[in-house]
Parts: sequence; structure tokens; C-alpha cells
Amino acid sequence: MVTEQEVLNVLRSVPGPDGKTPLPESGAIAGLTIRDGKVYLSIAVAPERAAALEDMRGRAERALRTLPGVATALVSLTSQKAPPETRVGPGRRPSVAGTIGIPGVARIIAVASGKGGVGKSTTAVNLALALQALGWRIGVLDCDIYGPSLPRLLDLRSQPQVEDRRIQPLHAYGVKAMSIGFMIDENEPVVWRGPMVMAAVQQMLRDVNWGELDCLVVDMPPGTGDAQLTLAQNVALAGAVIVSTPQDLALVDARRGIAMFNKVDVPVLGIVENMSYFLCPHCGGRSDIFAHGGARHEAERLGVPFLGEVPLALGIRETSDAGRPIVVAEPQSGHAAAYRDIAAQIRAALEQGRTREAPRILVE
Amino acid sequence: MEKQWPKELRLSEAGKVLKVAFENGRAFDLSAEYLRVMSPSAEVKGHTEQERKTVGGKRNVAITEIVPVGTYAVRLTFDDLHSTGIYTWDYLYELGDRHAVTWQAYLASLAAKGLSRDRPGEK
Repeated sequence: MVTEQEVLNVLRSVPGPDGKTPLPESGAIAGLTIRDGKVYLSIAVAPERAAALEDMRGRAERALRTLPGVATALVSLTSQKAPPETRVGPGRRPSVAGTIGIPGVARIIAVASGKGGVGKSTTAVNLALALQALGWRIGVLDCDIYGPSLPRLLDLRSQPQVEDRRIQPLHAYGVKAMSIGFMIDENEPVVWRGPMVMAAVQQMLRDVNWGELDCLVVDMPPGTGDAQLTLAQNVALAGAVIVSTPQDLALVDARRGIAMFNKVDVPVLGIVENMSYFLCPHCGGRSDIFAHGGARHEAERLGVPFLGEVPLALGIRETSDAGRPIVVAEPQSGHAAAYRDIAAQIRAALEQGRTREAPRILVE
Repeated sequence: MEKQWPKELRLSEAGKVLKVAFENGRAFDLSAEYLRVMSPSAEVKGHTEQERKTVGGKRNVAITEIVPVGTYAVRLTFDDLHSTGIYTWDYLYELGDRHAVTWQAYLASLAAKGLSRDRPGEK
């Protein structure tokens, strides 16, 4: 049995990297393993001196082989580790992280609502298609973790493909589409806090190959909670569209939504009154199921634009559920025209450049 | 007050100075020490004026990270690991615009509480 002590004793005859201090005392021995008469020794040296120290390596190897009981000896030079960089402290280079914007995407807008069930996703999809009909290149991103509905609204059943490590968005009716619904199981309840939502959203913004877009329409989760606030703070939004029914109960929540966007300085492009009234397909009679005009009054009161009203209509519901939104299914209809009219106002507001660019942040 | 909007934020002198240039043409050099002791974080500002803390010993503090928050503010991380202050554009403008007064008030507060710019401690 060869012992470590014997090995170190015999290595005393070999000068270390500095040419005089015996190797065992030079502090250069980085590793020593002895097994079944085989000795493995590694010596740490500065990488640029490796060639010059080849002679030392050979001498150490020969010295080891003189030891009785040593069958083979292998000595290797390993590169000395540079002192680890301190991660915190004055020496650390200041860094800049970014708000999430996407190169190639001119602007991102959010479609939001204070509460669920007001037709936010249906509105988002129809507005996206109407903006596209006006000549813009459009993407739709469904971030509604509580009820991702884009797959159904656009009848998208396939999974997005990955090419060159980029997720390829799906295409429907000329718009690019991506949904959080592709990333989670439809039957699993989603219990995510803000950071988890952000991680998923970040991936859908950064890792999806959106290409060149004039506008990306983001379907926000309903409400004004943690997830919504995180999204509004971290995505570089050019503006937000609030969807509400005319019902007082819904308007209270819409007000909260507007307050949230005001708080984070995202311009509110306006309010859309959805399910504004009901036109009976049989008798043609009009019923103001959730009262009427509430959103218009609210918009006036809050000083944000009123973008228009969309009736509660069977046609809109049926086309939405069938995956052929009314703007493409029945472009001649009055409902489609209502969406186009709203889209035109949104486009005008965005083109007016009421939104301001974030400042440059530089680190010298 | 009209909303102020910066054109550029430039961190220089190894994180010791944040230069902020606003669209209205004004530009301020804000020292990391000044930004640190005037942090809008609740840790410093408290929830009422009585709760406001005077932070001493930050003469040599530096900024290590700038993270934009939406398009309305930045979060600054300092090398003493303070990172909970969100500085809106308006607040940065106010810090620049009122620097002379605010800084004197800070020095007076340090003296009144027996603190110093060089000795760590807060009250």
C-alpha cells in the first residue's frame, strides 16, 4: 500500500512552479488520488505557464514511479482558477434590466376588464381582427391565466412548434396568435401568483417569434389583482382598452381597472361598452338588459374616451364559440362594423403618439 | 405639477452618479448617496412623515442596478443591498429640482439626530 505521506515525501525532491520550493510545500498540489498502486496527481498552474512547467510535471511523474508499490503515476497540470469575482460590492458592474418590449413589435396594448364575464376576450379578438382589417400587422397574446379562451375563439387546436429555439406563433385569419392555454392543461385550475404569471408571459413575449407587428394585443386576466398589476408594470404597454358591461356592478370594477393603469402610467385608450343592449332576433325589440349608457357616462366622468358599444347579440356569441369571430365571419354585419369603428379609434389614438417612449437607460 | 418625462438616465462614475436629462431641457446629476438617503421606499420614508428615517453613513454608496418599472419609474439597487425604492420620473425631477433645499434638510437632520455621512446608522 502506497500512502499519501510516502507520495508527498518523494515529491519533496521536485521543485514546485517557482523553481525552488519543494512541490508539496508550494501549495500547487490541487489533487492527489491513490488507488490500487496507481497515483493520480494534479498540479495547479497559471495557464500561460503550462508549457514552461512541462518539465516539472515530467519530473514529478518520474519521481512517483520510483516509489515501491506504484504501478503507474499520472501527473497533470490543471489551470489555476482565477479568483472568483465578487458578486456584490463596489467592484460589481452596474447592470440594467429591461421592461419587456419586443424588437420588431411597434406597440403593445392591453385589453382589460375590472371583472370577469364581460366579454373581454371576445372583444380582444374581434378588435385584433378589426385592426388587422384596417391594414395593421397584428398579433394576439392571450395572458388570461384564469380562462384562456383564444384557442377556442380562433379555433386553434394545434400546438405551437419550436424552430431555432423560438416558439412559432399560430396563425388564424391573418393574425399571429399565442395563448397561455397552450402552456397549461385546460382541466387544471391555475393557482399562480404574479411572478409565475410573469415568467410565463415573459416567455410568450420574448421566446415567441412574433416577427414584425404594428400592434400586439394582449388579453389580460380579468380583475385588478397581483397578476394584473405585475403585467401592467412589466410589459411596456402603449395603452389599455377597458371592457365593461353597462351594469353598475361592472362599472365599479372597470373604475378600479382604470385606476390601476393610471397608477402605473399606462394611458387608458378608452372604454368599450359590451353587451350594451339586446336586440331580439325574433321581434327586433331592444332590451337594455344591463341598463344602458353606463359606460359612456363613466368614461365622461373619468375623462377617458368612450370607444363605442357592442350589443349582446346571438351572432357574436355563436361565431365566437365556433372559432370564427364575427369580424371575419360576417364582415358586412353591423356588429363587425362596430368593432371596426372602435379599432379605428384605437389606431388613431396610438398613431397620434399619445404614448411616450421610455427613456434610454445607459450605464457607463 | 406637470408630469416630467426623462429622455435619458445615465449611470456614471462606477455607479456613484445618476445623470438624468429631462425633455424640458433640464438635467440633474444625482449622487447615489442622495438617491439612497432620499429613497421613496417605505423602509426609509415610512408611512407618515413622523416615521421617516434619516439614514447616515452612505457617503460611498453606489448604484449597482437600474430596472425600469413600466414606463413610469425605475427601481434602483444600491451596493448596500437596498433595492425597494421605486423612483418615478416626477420624483427624480423633484429630487433634482429641489436638491439644494432637500440636501440641506438632510444634513440638518443628520446633525440633529447625531448621525453622520460616514458612520452607518439610522434614526
